[in-house]
Amino acid sequence: MKNIIEFVVYGDYALFTDPLTKIGGEKLTYNVPTYQALKGIVESIYWKPTIVFIIDEVRVMNPIQMESKGVRPIEYGGGNTLANYTYLKDVCYKVRARFDFNKNRPDLAFDRNEGKHFAIMKRSLEAGGRRDIFLGTRECQAYVEPTNFDEGEGAYDNINELHFGQMVHGINYPDETGRDELEVRLWPAEMRNGVIKFPKPEDCTSVRKIKDMAPPKVFDQSNVQSADELMKELGGE
Amino acid sequence: MGWLLNLYKTYEANVSQVGKIEKSRWDKEYTLLPIAHTTQNAHIEVDINEDGTFHSADMIGKVNTLIPCTDEAASRAGSKIAPYPLHDKLSYVAGDFVAYGGKIKKEEPFQAYIKQLGNWANSPYATNKVKSIYHYLKKGSLIKDLVDEKVLFLDQNNQLIEKWTSDYEPLQGEKPSIFTAVTGGQESAFVRFNVRIGHTPDVWTDKEMFDSFIAFYNETLGETDLCFVTGEQQPSTERHANKIRHAADKAKLISANDTSGFTYRGRFKTSKEAVGISYDVSQKAHNALKWLIQKQGKTIDDRVFLVWGSDNEQLPAPDDDPYDFFQDDDDEQDVIANTLYLYANEVAKAIDGYKSDLETKADVSIMILDSATTGRMAVLYYRSMEKELYLNRLKAWHAKCYWAHRHRKKDNTRIQFYGAPATKDIAFAAYGPRASDKIVKGLMERMVPCIVDGRTVPTDILRSAFQRASSPQSMETWEWEKTLSIACALLNVKEGLDVSLDYELKDRSYLFGRLLAIADVLERRALGREETRATNAIRYMNSFSKHPERTWKTIQESLQPYQARLGTKATYLSRLIDEVGTMIAIEDFNNQPLTGKYLHGFYSQRQELYKKKADVSEDQENTQSEEQ
Repeated sequence: MKNIIEFVVYGDYALFTDPLTKIGGEKLTYNVPTYQALKGIVESIYWKPTIVFIIDEVRVMNPIQMESKGVRPIEYGGGNTLANYTYLKDVCYKVRARFDFNKNRPDLAFDRNEGKHFAIMKRSLEAGGRRDIFLGTRECQAYVEPTNFDEGEGAYDNINELHFGQMVHGINYPDETGRDELEVRLWPAEMRNGVIKFPKPEDCTSVRKIKDMAPPKVFDQSNVQSADELMKELGGE
Repeated sequence: MGWLLNLYKTYEANVSQVGKIEKSRWDKEYTLLPIAHTTQNAHIEVDINEDGTFHSADMIGKVNTLIPCTDEAASRAGSKIAPYPLHDKLSYVAGDFVAYGGKIKKEEPFQAYIKQLGNWANSPYATNKVKSIYHYLKKGSLIKDLVDEKVLFLDQNNQLIEKWTSDYEPLQGEKPSIFTAVTGGQESAFVRFNVRIGHTPDVWTDKEMFDSFIAFYNETLGETDLCFVTGEQQPSTERHANKIRHAADKAKLISANDTSGFTYRGRFKTSKEAVGISYDVSQKAHNALKWLIQKQGKTIDDRVFLVWGSDNEQLPAPDDDPYDFFQDDDDEQDVIANTLYLYANEVAKAIDGYKSDLETKADVSIMILDSATTGRMAVLYYRSMEKELYLNRLKAWHAKCYWAHRHRKKDNTRIQFYGAPATKDIAFAAYGPRASDKIVKGLMERMVPCIVDGRTVPTDILRSAFQRASSPQSMETWEWEKTLSIACALLNVKEGLDVSLDYELKDRSYLFGRLLAIADVLERRALGREETRATNAIRYMNSFSKHPERTWKTIQESLQPYQARLGTKATYLSRLIDEVGTMIAIEDFNNQPLTGKYLHGFYSQRQELYKKKADVSEDQENTQSEEQ
């Protein structure tokens, strides 16, 4: 199947907030990106409800470094407060991801054209993504470029094993699980020779239900234009 | 490993230390708290017989006591009724409190207290001691017994005296100690209970009692939830510890207060939806952190710098200077280690001493904590790495950031030592001796990654130290000497020079530095011992670093009278000036500003000349012939 995308994402700072520190507002980053953060980056490159992205693995290229900054978050009641956020500094990741058609969306079966989606995705990547790319939080702007996943030297290539303990893997939404629930997935993260191989979302065993959710919005031919149609419209065959 | 998980594991690895009282460097007592326990100052101790009758009572002043504690009691405030499970204030533990004039607000605290204690005493986890205390307190005669024992005092109307005045003296004699120990009247005295059974430990040090309460309390904990730290289903909590850095510290590492900041709201409605943390993990991790901070944390302006190893061995900290960990070895290192090579060997030896058993795969964790506001605390830096890697990084840092220093004092005399300066001293070198704690802690945080991650030293710090070292006129001599050696050490991270003079080095800045040093020494010698004013070389140092050619002309011109005064004694130095001067290529002899290397040239040349002079006085003939 032609569906694999390999890219490098880099930026000056990253903040993959550890939820333990998020509820109080003094954010501290995880050591490595979560599955969900990477998925968000891929979806910023190109996405349509027809497809689901799966992150296979990520390579950590730069040494993990932290730096704290004093920030002044806005209080919604007015004014500011003071907080210390701790960011990852100077990060660079190589990501290997692929897309699949969303089986929970039979209503979009008409848009399942593998080659077209693949071509659009590749063009979007070369243009640097369709939406702004950020690492974890919006203030950490980043850039994406096509790359060869295995090329180049990473800082952890020679370190056999590194364990990060339990981390958030990602969040389950109804449109991808078929269950009308919001759930969070955890997994014991580990890195081998600089590469983190993610389990697939459905293979994560630590899943915690957060709350019930409304069923997903319906997409069909009335509000989504298929890739084929667009092609015809543009004068292609 | 995640920071909280790491702390949790540290607790588990040190369970044997739980409840053991240790003394800190400042003679403060601390301990690794059992879970569901805290410490409070107790004023009164009541001894009870095994059968639940009163034995005796004593005023003990203010004694820090380990007491069991529930989540509600830990965060009680104002008029809220939330008794501690065993030891508590008089208003909670005395059944006859109201009868003796105690004022209560809404409900009676004693009822809540005795019900909670009863549940524990009647549970399968209860020990005999708990039962004895319960049987005694149930009777509600505590204040009466304490009055009989002359611990508490009543007025004419058989009411507890609220505030001591001299009017009571005819009745009770001199001012009893309870009125000085307790602030806010007798009713706020804190009581601890002990049971006299054979030779068993006191209730507040008895491990059996700890375990009994923990087991009982575990039963009462709420529903289980997925813990984000361990990934297991365990009873969860939403209340987390404060008092992390010290007893008056309100800041929490984990808190949830989202009525206005919208830190998590949006996707989640409550903090429970956003994250789940088990009671066990939260308690143990926080207790381990408090213990570690007391034991080995360094605090500057409330910012905590903490380094600890999973095997609990002593570790050198990134902010120490090498003298700290050389000490046990040998005092001779200042004599032998005056070359980079020898010194590097010494550091390696000292640091390898910490490696004792590397097979155990021990880890080192580095953590920096601080709070921007009173209520919340943040982790500013967290790093966990293999012990071997950590020690190697320290070794590399001390070998790179190397210079000779004289600012360390031992037995009130300045001693010379080689190596990296402590980060605190770097702050003073870069920002002056009056740098506020705020600035010092900021710099220390920035230096930690340079040491443990091998990052380059930030240029603003380098530049600042360089500038200050080039302005000797702006400070006292000792301070300038200290700044100079630290600036040399910092700049040497990139240069990798040796302290001893390099005769071959043809670097322009280095040679200019040597010239300046010779001029300084020459004038100093001419001035003699009594004259302490600064030499021209020192006075022009700052402008010399910016315009060496132009300034050198001025310096050399003003050197003339001193050369004349010294006569033949200046021959060697004058010749040396010529020698060094000719080493500078003609096109390099210009007004380009000098780099940090000129400080190295200056320092090494000056040291070399002073050393020579000492030799000369000892054995003039010998040295003179060597020089020629």
